[in-house]
Amino acid sequence: MKRLLPLLLIIILGVLTALPWIAGPTLVQFAINALMLATLAQGWNIIGGFAGYASFGNSIFFGLGSYGVAIAMVQWNLPFGVGLVIGVVFSVLFALAMGVPVLRLRGHYFAIATLALSQVMSAIFSNLDIAGRNIGLVLPLLRSDTLFYELSLGLLVIATLTVFWLSRSRFGFGLIAIRENEDAAQSMGVNTTRYKVLAFTLAGIFSSLAGGIHAYWITFIDPNSAFDLSLNVKMIIMAVFGGPGSVLGPVIGAALLSAISELLSSTLSSVASLFFGVVIVIAVILMPKGLTDCWLRFPVTGWRYFIHNIRQHRL
Amino acid sequence: MSTPILSLKNISKRFGGLLAVNGVNIDIMPGETVGLIGPNGAGKTTLVSLISGTLTPTTGEIVFQGHNITALPAFERARLGIGRTFQIMKPFPGLTVLDNVAVGALYGTTTTNKALSQARDEAMEWLRRMDLHSKAQQRAEELGGPDRKRLELAKAMAMKPTLLLLDEVMAGLNLVEIDEVIEAIKVVRETGISILVIEHMMKVIQSLSDRLLVLHHGQQIMAGTPQDVLNDPRVIEAYLGKRRV
Repeated sequence: MKRLLPLLLIIILGVLTALPWIAGPTLVQFAINALMLATLAQGWNIIGGFAGYASFGNSIFFGLGSYGVAIAMVQWNLPFGVGLVIGVVFSVLFALAMGVPVLRLRGHYFAIATLALSQVMSAIFSNLDIAGRNIGLVLPLLRSDTLFYELSLGLLVIATLTVFWLSRSRFGFGLIAIRENEDAAQSMGVNTTRYKVLAFTLAGIFSSLAGGIHAYWITFIDPNSAFDLSLNVKMIIMAVFGGPGSVLGPVIGAALLSAISELLSSTLSSVASLFFGVVIVIAVILMPKGLTDCWLRFPVTGWRYFIHNIRQHRL
Repeated sequence: MSTPILSLKNISKRFGGLLAVNGVNIDIMPGETVGLIGPNGAGKTTLVSLISGTLTPTTGEIVFQGHNITALPAFERARLGIGRTFQIMKPFPGLTVLDNVAVGALYGTTTTNKALSQARDEAMEWLRRMDLHSKAQQRAEELGGPDRKRLELAKAMAMKPTLLLLDEVMAGLNLVEIDEVIEAIKVVRETGISILVIEHMMKVIQSLSDRLLVLHHGQQIMAGTPQDVLNDPRVIEAYLGKRRV
């Protein structure tokens, strides 16, 4: 199994790369969205899954990336690529400036602070002339779903490779130590402040790039859609569903949940989100540590795995 | 006379109106095991936190191997070679026993990049010496009392420290388990590092320390060999009067 996994991944990647030429436009558009969510979930995985800081501020980076591209292209007539770079620079500066004070907070306090920050950013951008205030910005139209698809896929691959490196590096191990016990990590020589800020920055870079690509694809952004909190909730749910702190978990989680959500909304339409909620509640109860943990442990423990988890919840 | 590895110079720590540590001077020599005793609330754990860097002193100076470390954060002190265990155990609960110790090998006094596999090899070596290697793949949260203590020791030792601070390692153990952990600490002591042992149990402190310090109300009231200290009337009055068995 271990030997087959890389081969399997390469085959899947090959099929995914060829998808725009074999699938219809609806599927490709669905896939672009799913790839974006997977990249966001993977970015959240770095700060939330590895370092254990439940960030509600990752949608800020998504917004900064979106506005980076939009402002560069609309206001300054710069190419798309330069816009992406501007978005990333903004995000890195933001992560460094806000990460240092905010990452001093732990647990719920960190979550609340990042939540508040994303509302603040939305308010700021609704008052910036250069960002089109409340009305937002309309980007030049580029009708090439194939390009957006391949860009999104490429970004997800880079994000996943980064997390793969993280999972076997000294840096990643330090982040896990912070998640497991920050005081102990600190007293064993881990520069916790620096590590947390770096993880936050790294997560921010991927979210920002995803936001930039998304803005150009959708061709319209406003403060509400760019700093959309429900997007942040989605990436958390997907990462946690798949398995926080694992390499492929967030990607699988994003793919599965995107598909389930799409199927439900096409078959059940109005009550789809209700059923989506039920799916997530059941998933959290039956496998609180995500799909990857279930995948690894189910063959060993069998159905007892689920019974054990239900007991843990004292249901 | 060699120079001390650690010198506390007139260290005080104030928490609001409480002077938890009051003008303490301690020198620890290379290779020496020093015991620190004192009644509850004497300031022992505060002193450990001041040395490891979790707290910074209100006044005074801490010199470690010639460096003034008074203002350094905890992680930099760990890099210089100060390892500690916590009175309230702080393992990495979700990681395997092996990976818990590997964190020490990966960080600690190592500041350059090191491969995970090498860190795990070094960690395994300490697990063997602490007689924990058969449980290497268990999660740390699954370990019981004495094993947790041994894990703390292995984690701290994998950092390759030159000074180890042991903060009430024996808390919560029964007499048989205490003997096991004393043997484990003796293994640690044989590596030749300096150790500061903080302990309530007389048996432990007597069997381990070369020299004893007594802390009472934040002040050092006595220092000397275990026999001298434990027979001193001031110590008996402050501490042992109620506890001597």
